[in-house]
Amino acid sequence: MLDLSEFRDIFLEELSEQLQTIEEELLALEREGGTDAGIQRLFRAAHTLKGSSAAMGYAKLKDLTHEMEHVLEKLRNRELQISQQLASLFFEALDGLRQLQSEIVHHHTEQSDMADTIQGLRGYTASTSPPPLQAPPLLPYEIYQKFLAAQDKKRQLVWLTLQLSEHCEMRYARFQIIERKLDELLELIWREEDGTGPTDEASEASRSARWLVSTSLTAEELNELASALMDVEQVDLELAQMERLQTQPEVIVAEEETILPELVVQAGRGVRQDTAKAASIRVNVDRLEQLMNLVGELVIDQTRIQQAGKILRQRFGPDEAFDEFSQLSDHLTRTVGELQESVMKVRMLPIEQLFNRFPRLVRDLSIALGKEVELILEGKDTELDRNLIEEIGDPLIHLVRNAVDHGLESPEDRRAAGKPVKGSLRITAAHEDDQVSLLIEDDGAGIDTDKLRQAAVNRGVMSAAEAAQLSEHDAVQLIFHPGLSTAAKLSDVSGRGVGMDIVRNDIERMNGLIDIDTERGRGTQFKIRLPLTLAITTGLVITIAGRTFILPMSNVAEIVRVEEAAVRTVNGIPVLTLRNQVIPVVHIHRYFGYPEPADSGRYRPLVIIGRAEKRVALAVDELIGNHEIVVRSLGPYIGKVEGISGATILGDGKVALILETGGIIKMITR
Amino acid sequence: MLASAVEQYVEFGVGGENYAIRIADVHEIIKLQDITDIPNCHYYVRGVINLRGKIVPVISLRSLFALEESEPTKASRIVVVAHANDAVGLIVDHVNQVTLFSDIQPPPERVGGISGSYFVGIGITSNGLVGILKLDEVLIQS
Repeated sequence: MLDLSEFRDIFLEELSEQLQTIEEELLALEREGGTDAGIQRLFRAAHTLKGSSAAMGYAKLKDLTHEMEHVLEKLRNRELQISQQLASLFFEALDGLRQLQSEIVHHHTEQSDMADTIQGLRGYTASTSPPPLQAPPLLPYEIYQKFLAAQDKKRQLVWLTLQLSEHCEMRYARFQIIERKLDELLELIWREEDGTGPTDEASEASRSARWLVSTSLTAEELNELASALMDVEQVDLELAQMERLQTQPEVIVAEEETILPELVVQAGRGVRQDTAKAASIRVNVDRLEQLMNLVGELVIDQTRIQQAGKILRQRFGPDEAFDEFSQLSDHLTRTVGELQESVMKVRMLPIEQLFNRFPRLVRDLSIALGKEVELILEGKDTELDRNLIEEIGDPLIHLVRNAVDHGLESPEDRRAAGKPVKGSLRITAAHEDDQVSLLIEDDGAGIDTDKLRQAAVNRGVMSAAEAAQLSEHDAVQLIFHPGLSTAAKLSDVSGRGVGMDIVRNDIERMNGLIDIDTERGRGTQFKIRLPLTLAITTGLVITIAGRTFILPMSNVAEIVRVEEAAVRTVNGIPVLTLRNQVIPVVHIHRYFGYPEPADSGRYRPLVIIGRAEKRVALAVDELIGNHEIVVRSLGPYIGKVEGISGATILGDGKVALILETGGIIKMITR
Repeated sequence: MLASAVEQYVEFGVGGENYAIRIADVHEIIKLQDITDIPNCHYYVRGVINLRGKIVPVISLRSLFALEESEPTKASRIVVVAHANDAVGLIVDHVNQVTLFSDIQPPPERVGGISGSYFVGIGITSNGLVGILKLDEVLIQS
């Protein structure tokens, strides 16, 4: 038998791409009722998957995609119509496909039974077609032609809205008469059939109707003409915009079975995409990692060469050969620098990868919670290190869940508060200097700081007096306290108050920062700042008890030198007063089991680390300087060490540990 | 599992006793070098070293076997072994030789004050007994 294992990876990549396409199209289908082009893309994705899973021998995938293809074909041929129910069935099928995908990845076989899902789809096609899902009102084809013709004749297209007087009886009949009259005087293109129009017997109560007319009359003439009609109380004119109508031709063209040009365009587009793809190749992640490691080693070797050069020069004095050597070394430095940057860029991915997960997540959440949410994603192209994209995924998902669950109010509450019923959730990614910023904004109720204070008191975090004394800003920060959650009742969606402190820890582990801005009744904004990459960072090299350590520069707020006398002791804790802020001074020696430094009576450097409300001054023996460092993990054997985030190899070939600010602050506050 | 009698072993000394590791598990043997200590880590972990650009943890077999620490000598070596896709260095007093064992006995409950679970077996040589280390047990993360 043919060994297919080498094709498995390729198949899996294709599978996840197609599943992403299916998800995007399904969301669009549900939101907008679906276009022929969209259904065609869905059909093509299902069809492609059916073929490749059959070739790979994945029978369940094949059966399920076959059934989807079958339903989509009926949709395409207008034997079926889109409905909420059908959209849900498709989502269910998508989940099934994803389930099979994960089983193939982890167990190399399909395990779950998809018979129910397949039966669901099959049952749907057998049943009668349910009503369409809020299909947008469309211009019938011949009317669209008239519309275009009118445009060609340079006539104006005007929406004419007539309102009958309050006293007019038998409005339906009146509208019929008016319409006939209008038809004589103007060229009527279309009347709006949204229930307010005159075509419906039930609309007896409706007082206004709207027509699309093509005319060479001026607005004034038109107004005069319409006002003269019997019982017409008010006339509104609005120039019709081509753009407003242009969303519809797609469907209209299809109705006339002139679908071919559309498909040709599609095919053309597809071909162009394929050629664009040919310019890039897929690379296994492990190979990239390997490349990055090798570059890391080059960086280190290169710094060592530089140092060795310096030592040789000191020892043997100036010499032509040394000049040549240092020139070469300088050139090597530049080349290695550029190489490092290029490799970094290769590892960068657009955040789109992560953003693509949100539309479905928000859809499911809003259905589960009975909320209406408009999700706006901006800055999809923002690139960051693929490791970071992986790491930031969970915290971001948590924030999104929180925003939909706790941030945005129910439609009733929003209506009562005079807000749009549909809540908005905006996620924005952007580059700022050498960092990536992520904003998660909702226009919900904001954070109730009184509830947070109350929760803090109830859980024994602080006394009622302390809670009352907190500034508004500090009270908001309570949300990051382990075990505090403001949700009045717990829900399945965002858990049990174990969230925000973990979110913050995750972000700080990536050397990032998270900030909150919230206003009662107006909404909440979370701002996350992350370094572009986890692998290479600027570090402050320091020594403590004869050992060299690195502090990530992103964690360093300030470096000060003070006399030892400036450090006072309050309640047994050494503190430093800096610009009216009292900052505890940490001698890490104690926590790391190093001998205490002798009181030299001299000036002593202190490095202020940590975030605004929780700063500490780290007492160090010596400041060496700033260096670009390649961050390495200590490996699985050593595992996690409190206060240490990793290690790096210095220019002299020795290993230096990288201090982790969050861990240090945790150690000393215990 | 008893080790095969024809396999080669690296034999080394720690605290007056001789031990051995299957040569297939030994990555390389290097001289003692600068070790960066790691605070608040397991008592037997000496720290990490830079092994040609790789960060490799180093543990002291003397500490692990609850023997008194001794000053490193010129003969001290780090035996780098492969462990679960990673390399780990073991500090030993001296490396003796690569050897074959004609006879391997199952380990007793205790081997000179050290739990028998650390050993695959006891190799018999003309110079005496050699404890063959069970790496999975020695490198277990407790």
